[in-house]
Formats: sequence, C-alpha cells, structure tokens
Amino acid sequence: MVYDDITVDLLSFIKADAPNNDEFNRIALQLFAYQFAHNQPFAKFARARGKTPRTVTSWTDIPAVPISAFKALEMTCCRPDEAEAIFMTSGTTLGRLRGKSYHQSLSVYDASMHRNFSERFMGGIERLHMGILFPTVEEMPNSSLAYYLDLAVRDFGLPGSSHLIGEAGIDIDRLIADLVRAETTGRPYALLGASFSLVHALDGMEKRGYSANLPASSRILDTGGFKGQSRELTLNEFYDSLSHRFNVPRSQCINMYGMTELSSQFYDDGNAISPSVKSGPHWVKTRVVNPLTGAAMPKGETGVLVHTDLAHVNIVTTILTEDTGIETDDGFFLLGRAEGTEAKGCSMAVDEFLRAAGSAVA
Amino acid sequence: MIVEHAGYLPGLDADSVDRQAKAYGPEGAEISVLLPVLHEKQVVQLVGHVREQAQLKLKSRPLGQIIDAIDLTVSRLLDRQDPYRRRMDHLLPIITGYDREMVRLGLTGYLKTFRKPQLQRFLAEDFINPAILDSFQPLPKGGLGRAFGPKILTHVWAGNVPGLPLWSLVAGLLVKAGNIGKVPTAEPMFAGWFSQLFAEVAPELADCLAVVWWQGGDEVLETAVLNESDLVLGYGRNESLAAIQSRLPITKRFLAFGHKVSFAMVSAEALNASKVCATARLVAYDVARYDQQGCYAPHMVFVERGGSVSPERFAQYLAHELAVFEEKFPLRPLSLEEGSAIVSWRNMEEMIPGGQVFSAASGSWAVSYQAEDKVFSPSCLNRTIRVVGIDALDQVPAILAPFSALLQTAGIAAPPEELVALASALGEVGVTRIAAIGDMTSPEAGWHHDGRFNLLDLVKVTEIDGRAEGSADRLASYDD
Repeated sequence: MVYDDITVDLLSFIKADAPNNDEFNRIALQLFAYQFAHNQPFAKFARARGKTPRTVTSWTDIPAVPISAFKALEMTCCRPDEAEAIFMTSGTTLGRLRGKSYHQSLSVYDASMHRNFSERFMGGIERLHMGILFPTVEEMPNSSLAYYLDLAVRDFGLPGSSHLIGEAGIDIDRLIADLVRAETTGRPYALLGASFSLVHALDGMEKRGYSANLPASSRILDTGGFKGQSRELTLNEFYDSLSHRFNVPRSQCINMYGMTELSSQFYDDGNAISPSVKSGPHWVKTRVVNPLTGAAMPKGETGVLVHTDLAHVNIVTTILTEDTGIETDDGFFLLGRAEGTEAKGCSMAVDEFLRAAGSAVA
Repeated sequence: MIVEHAGYLPGLDADSVDRQAKAYGPEGAEISVLLPVLHEKQVVQLVGHVREQAQLKLKSRPLGQIIDAIDLTVSRLLDRQDPYRRRMDHLLPIITGYDREMVRLGLTGYLKTFRKPQLQRFLAEDFINPAILDSFQPLPKGGLGRAFGPKILTHVWAGNVPGLPLWSLVAGLLVKAGNIGKVPTAEPMFAGWFSQLFAEVAPELADCLAVVWWQGGDEVLETAVLNESDLVLGYGRNESLAAIQSRLPITKRFLAFGHKVSFAMVSAEALNASKVCATARLVAYDVARYDQQGCYAPHMVFVERGGSVSPERFAQYLAHELAVFEEKFPLRPLSLEEGSAIVSWRNMEEMIPGGQVFSAASGSWAVSYQAEDKVFSPSCLNRTIRVVGIDALDQVPAILAPFSALLQTAGIAAPPEELVALASALGEVGVTRIAAIGDMTSPEAGWHHDGRFNLLDLVKVTEIDGRAEGSADRLASYDD
C-alpha cells in the first residue's frame, strides 16, 4: 500500500456523510500495516509488544505510543528531510528534547482541520472576520497551532482578518479597532488564540476601560490553557470574563484541545457549563485507560486519554497521552494536561535530578 | 471510618485548635485524619512553651535518663500488642499505601536500631565522651568543654516512608533540644504517635517536643516557626529547601538534606552459578522495599561483565525476583501521574539503542537493561530500575563524578579487597555510604546521614580555655 492510495481512502472517509465503524476499523488496520512497514521505531515498539499486522485485528489492538517517544525518536514513515512540515512541541526540561511530528504532506491534515473546524466552530457560517491572538507561521514555522490558525484565516476568514500579535505582544489598539468595526458594521467577529493570550487581551482591555458589544453570532476560540504564561483563572472565571468583556455568550466560547502529536483536533460545544464535554470527529476515537496496563477504565472513572487519529498518516494513529480525563456518553471530560505544566508524580525525580545535576548532563 | 488526630501540641488548649480533615485509603474513605490548623499566634505560643519547658526539664537532666525514656518508648513500640504499635500497624499501610507486611517488618527492623545500646552507639559515634552533653569535660587540647544543643530545633520532614522522622527527633532529644517537628501530608501520623507515647512514658519530658502540620509552602506559619528556631533541619526537594533557607535569618543555622540518589554495583564474583540468585534477590529487595521512596534505594545497578552470568541475563534474574516480591509485598497503588511516568520511563529506556525492558504486565515493576548507554540516569522509582553492563566496576566512579552532589548510598556485592578499593574511589566522587546489597534501605544505628555528624552538627561547644583554669586558680582563696 502506498502513501497516495491511503491518502485517497482517508480523504473520502473524512468527507463521508454516513461513516461507519467497520470502515474506521478497516482504515485503521490498513494504516497500522503501512506505519508498521515504514516507521522503523514504531515497528520495533509494536513488535516488542507482540503486535504485528498479523496479530492486530481490531483498531483497539494497535499499540498506543507514549508521547515521550515523539521526543526520543524519529517517528516517521517518510524520510525526515522529505517531510512537507515538521511540527514540534515547545521545549521541556527533559534534556531539552522536543516532540516532533513529521508530515509527508499536509493534505490530510488540512482536510481534517477543515471539516472539523467548519462544523464545530464556524457553525455553518462560511466566512467570518477573524482576529488571531497567536504568532504567524512565519514567526513560528514549527508550531502546529500557528499552522492551524493560519488555515483558519486563509480558508474561513473574511478579507481584513489578521494576526493581532506583534513583537511587543498583543496589539490592543488593533484589537479594539477590530472590535469597534464589528460593532459598527454589525457583522459577527471571531477571536481565536491561545488561552493565555486571551487573558492578556482581557487585561489589556480592562486597562483601557473598554468592553466590546459584539454582534450576535460572534464567537471565541481558546486553546492550550494558561501554562503559567498569564494569571491562572478557573474555567468559570475565564469564560465569565470573556462573555462579559466581549458580549459573547459562554455557549459561543469554544475550547479546542489539540496536540502536536496528532493531525486532528477536539472541540466542545461551548462553555455554557464548564468543564465541558469534548469530542473529536468521526475519524478520531478516544479511549480512557489505565496507563500502566492499557485496560479501559470504567465509564465515569478517571484515566489517561488514548487517541486514535486516522489523519495522522505519516506517524502513528494511536498515542498514549499524559492527559487525564473521564469518558462520557458523547465524548470526554479533559481534567489535566501534562504539557507545559511541571511534571508530576515520580517523574519529578527525573526532572529534579536533571536540574540538580545542571550542566553535567547538558 | 476511623478518625485520628494528627500532631502533638503540648500546652495548647485542644478545643482552641482548628482541624482540617483529610481522607486516606484506596477510596479515600478509610481514615479521616484531622490535621491541626494552627494560627500564627498559637504557633508562637507553642514554640515558646516547648522552649521554656525544655530549658527547665531537659537541659539539666542527665543524658542517661533521656536515653532510658527513649528506650522505654521504643520498647513499647516494639511490642506488637501495644495499642500505639497496633495503630501504626493498622493505619500506616492505609495512609501510605505500602503493603501491610512490609510496613510491619520494616517498623520492627527500624525501631530495633533505637534501643539503649544503639542509642549509646549513636552518641559514641559523634562524641568521644558523651558526658560532654551533661557537664564540662576535659578536652584533649587542654581546658574543658561542654556541648549545648539548640534551645529550639525545628524539623521539616518530607516523604511517606513510615518512621523516618524518628532519626532526627531522637537526635534532637539526645542533644537536649526543644523539638518542633513539622510532618508532611503524605504521612502525618507517626511522629505524633511517637511523641504522645513518649509523653506517657516520660511525663516529666512531655512538654519538650511538639509535632505540627501546615500546608507545604505556608509562608506565614513557616516564617513564624523559623523565626523562633535556633537550628532547622530540612528534608525534601531542593526547591522546598531553598524556600526555607530564603526565609531563615542569617543568624540561624540550617542543615538541608536534599534528595539524594543511590545505586548498586555487582561484581563478576557475585554472578557465579551458586550466588547469582541470592544477588538478584537482595538487589530486588532494595528496589521493592518502600518502592524506592527513600534516598538510599537504588536507581541503577552496574553489573560487571566476565562472570558466569552476563549483565543482560542478570537483568532477567532481577526481573524474576521483582515478580516474586510483587507476590509477597505488592506495590502500593499509584496515582495516574505516577503510572504515566512509569510508562514514559519504560518507553524511553526501550528506545535507547541496545536497550531492553522487562516488565510486569500489571506494570508493577520494570527492569531496563542497557548494553551501551552507561550514563548515570535516575529511575522513575516505584520499582523501576536500570541495569547497566560494564567491563570493570572500577569504571563506575568516573561515570558518577558529574553527579557528585547527589550521591548517597552504594550497595556493593564484591569480594573484600575490591570492596575497599571501590569504597575509596566512590568516596572520592561523593558517595557517603557503602552498604551490602539487601541492606541499602536499612542504615545501621549511628550511621552518618549524607556523611555528616547527626549529633555533633546540632551542638555548640562552650570551651573553658586551658589557661582560664590557671588564672582562676590565682584568684582562689587558697592562692599563696
């Protein structure tokens, strides 16, 4: 099976109107065989667990790769230098290694983003005037979020949509100009960005004593949490503040949960109630497991999230995250994200060790 | 649901102390511990009371009586029918999650190192003449000296290994200090129980020690206690210790015991057919006991090539023995974060070229074998360990040298002449304790924690200059 054939199959599955589970399973197994054949470190990982295309008969048998593997290894089916894009996680203390996702091409990534974004954020509107509170792809060429937001502007933004972050941080003048224009024209506005940048925007507007009165159908997308880069708010404080400051109901404040190690995103249906239930599109399935045994947790109990994302063609479909969550009937509650926060549990020993040893290991 | 009061607060009206309930146990529902929530004023009052009472009742008491009081308390705790011991055996496994038998055996083995002969050895380790703690004694250089403990010695304990606070608490009593111990949330009971029993056994000394709790990082209470202390002993993470140090006035002394790492070394001689099983079992015991939560537990094992069993094969022996211990003393329940960290560690170890991981299907232990990567690397604890094959054990000190400040115990399985040669080289790079494998996690009575003097570091010596005696003589009524 070659890359192009798989891509064709996948693109039609992503577009499908009535996708079924058998088709999901068929493509997942096909991808497993492809990735097993072309991604050498993954093949070694799978073989060590007795998982080969011969023994794996259901998508749930595909071994979940811990996200730390994306740091240690060149996990890719194509040659790294042939990748159209390389997305990287932000650096951590662990040997300063960054998790990498190689994408041979971005066609599947784009298709995944499109359908999902259009249904879960745009809500049927074709284009909106957008403001982006995040650096551009030119500024952050290895950031999957920068790429995602650029796609949003390119394919869903009206002319005049723009990035509102410069070298000196958020350009509050331009943000307010955008908001005033939306108020005057009565055309809905969409503000998208990192959660911590939205906090900075709230703070900046408060300093100016300005609150927006955005027209109906305006919306806000935040992602990634505060990561110690802004003051920490509870979810209720955060969405209340957004709602009051922009006149956007909490039900139109959408949180996106994405990972560099995937090619698809998860959304909630607004934050009228927080925490909200998140879910992915039909080409992604999420399970909640005990990390040590891989066994599924009973519904309602906390475990670690495992995602199977068919759109992650060039690497692996199934990853074991360090995020904790609870399964619900129509998705999952995301409880904690490890990325960007201080390592917890016994890995603290490792982290502290590296810090204490200082330059000795650098 | 069992309800227990944590802490020991002599001189405070029990009704005036606020309490905060914290639940322990697998479902968080087996024990409710009522932690004392003190106000700044109460803390100052408490410390003042202990200082005054210690000054009154402890300073002038002959050391022998203090030793007897500790010995009597410990002998009560060694009695499995004693009500305090029964509470410890019953409740500490629930609070910490450690296996019941492991806690019971561990406590007995540990308490045995605090009986009278061991306490005397403890003193003899640091003082040529322990009577120097009672009165002025002749000094080798001439003149006289007497050792005084601090008026208030504050202990900031950490971790959840049952009984650990006893080391420093006993040291504080032996140097006749008034003691304030702060217990960690992970195991808030042992120190308080010990103190209550001590007060029962020796009512005259009941007010010379107190056990408190506050949420780690509570600046107000911590600063209040630090301001009232003469000497502070701190245990735990370097960040927490640095925070304590930053709040301590320059005139106070602070002895910090930061996290340390330990390791084992196995020579080719310990790998012959008749010895390899025992060697693997002893290393596994050091790994399994208290799930490597003490800093004397091994993170790595260096295994010498050239024995009848290869290092790789030894890793499999070790895996087998860990599986056996898992049957006998199961791993305590881990949090999701700890579980995730183990998965991540196993994965990283496996990804290193030449690396292999042997692990339990349940995830309750894991051995990684590294043929090529010899860098000293910490394990993620909870029964995870890296085995490294090495051509000769004398190459190990150079591998450890960059981590000098972090090293503590080396567990060594080697013949006598090699043991001594290795000990010198390891001492050079900062190792402070050489133990037999199997004994790594149970230091002997009187050991020098992190290479320091447990008692001597706590005292100040007042000297009477040799010439002062002569000068005094000239002022005597009998002077000619």
